[in-house]
Amino acid sequence: MPTRSSVSAPRRWAGLALSLVVLLVVWSVVAAADLVQPHYLTPSPLEVWHAFVRANSHHAVGGGIDRVVRGEENYFLWEHLLVSLRRIGLGLALGVVVGVPLGLLMGSVRWIGDLVGPYVDFLRSLPPLAYIGFLVAWFGIYDTLKVWLLFLAAFPPITLATVNGVRGVRLDQLNAVRSLGASRLQTTRHVILPATLPDILSGLRVAVGFAWTTVVAAELVNGLPGIGGLAYLSGTQNKIALSVACILVIGLTAIALDAVIRSIEKLVVPWRGKA
Amino acid sequence: MSKGIAVAGLEHAFPARGGAVAALGRIDLDIAPGELVTLAGPSGCGKTTLLRMIAGFASPSTGSISVGGVPVTGPGVERGVVFQQPNLYPWLDVRRNVALGPRLRGVGRAERLAIADRYLDLVGLSDAADRRPYELSGGMQQRAQIARVLAGDPEVILMDEPYGALDALTRERLQGELLSLWRATGKTILFITHSVDEAVFLGSRVLVMSPRPGRIVLDELVPFSADPDLAPDEIRALPKFGATAARVRAAIAH
Repeated sequence: MPTRSSVSAPRRWAGLALSLVVLLVVWSVVAAADLVQPHYLTPSPLEVWHAFVRANSHHAVGGGIDRVVRGEENYFLWEHLLVSLRRIGLGLALGVVVGVPLGLLMGSVRWIGDLVGPYVDFLRSLPPLAYIGFLVAWFGIYDTLKVWLLFLAAFPPITLATVNGVRGVRLDQLNAVRSLGASRLQTTRHVILPATLPDILSGLRVAVGFAWTTVVAAELVNGLPGIGGLAYLSGTQNKIALSVACILVIGLTAIALDAVIRSIEKLVVPWRGKA
Repeated sequence: MSKGIAVAGLEHAFPARGGAVAALGRIDLDIAPGELVTLAGPSGCGKTTLLRMIAGFASPSTGSISVGGVPVTGPGVERGVVFQQPNLYPWLDVRRNVALGPRLRGVGRAERLAIADRYLDLVGLSDAADRRPYELSGGMQQRAQIARVLAGDPEVILMDEPYGALDALTRERLQGELLSLWRATGKTILFITHSVDEAVFLGSRVLVMSPRPGRIVLDELVPFSADPDLAPDEIRALPKFGATAARVRAAIAH
């Protein structure tokens, strides 16, 4: 078996760990130099860690006031994260539920694809921030708005990837199943859908990326609890350490989520690249 | 019971830059139930086009095609197609690929898997039933495709250069197997090939098509493949085999 990477796994991890150490050292030096005054605008890694721990525990409010508060804004940081993940999950789920059948239809029936395609393309090219005000007017400032925004960000890439997949199915793969007696619906169920699965999953990965970008935008308006809202709010309140902690959590969670989808891909599309 | 194929007054042209290109000249052809007809011709003569029209993947410009007396309007379960590419589905293992036809007909799970196993056994692939198609060699994939078509229980089998991409040894072995299969099942088979040897070896009747626009220029009954007393590996050694092959070769070159 030829491998695409020439670096073994342990060496890759060692390299990653080393680069991480270097990054933390450089970061600490920059923070200690206090390039930007006052000091709290350049938190050190340790200060970010403390902010992270505070945000996940009951802690004194500080400043000489004898009051204990729960996490940040009454929620622990992981709760903020879970709320955002739930929004993303709902948006993506709706994106799949709408995008996959729509993509199958657009890919299978030429005129529907030609008719609807430009609109999906148009929607995809819009930055969600452009229509957030309009959605507030329609759906208010609560979770309905955020899920709609995430859905609108997620479904175009899923739809377009599905269309692309359907159009890429080899004609004779369709002819073969039709000659075995498949109806139109059976052809879709037994050939088009499984053949398109790799593209759908690629579209889903793109959509997850879009959803993360969008969740912060969605949480600019009444976003608490929510990790994006907390990242934004803490930044505006000069709690830079907390903001950085949120950013790191967002980034790491996004990478983890992508890894999860990739392992799902390996599981359900074992033939990818082989047939 | 096998069905026959009737092609009447068929002509086909396809649009191209600078006007229509005549792909198939006038073709009238009757294939009787149970015949194994091989169709040879130079590449580009339209033999694959003819097969795809009988399969229902395309319509002729003029003329009619019927199978078992019923006009062809699209693909149908009574016409099994073996493609040059195996076209197995990588999301199914080999057994489930073969069981697909029965599954589409609504046959229950246990029964259709039993049917699949029977046909896998017939083509000698029982050991590979649990593997995915991409884990098989080219010859094994073609065997699996043939098993899948047989499991669909068609009355007519259309084969489009199924062994064209295989090495010579595998090819001869599969030809022998097909012959035994045909003798055992009595299916009507139309087999397209560009190999004279293959056409004469397999066919109970050999057709030769002219270069574009394709017309049938040779139509000859061949006694070898249908003779139950003749083992497949004896056929090529017959003096008459060489003579027939020479006539077919001359018709192609003409």
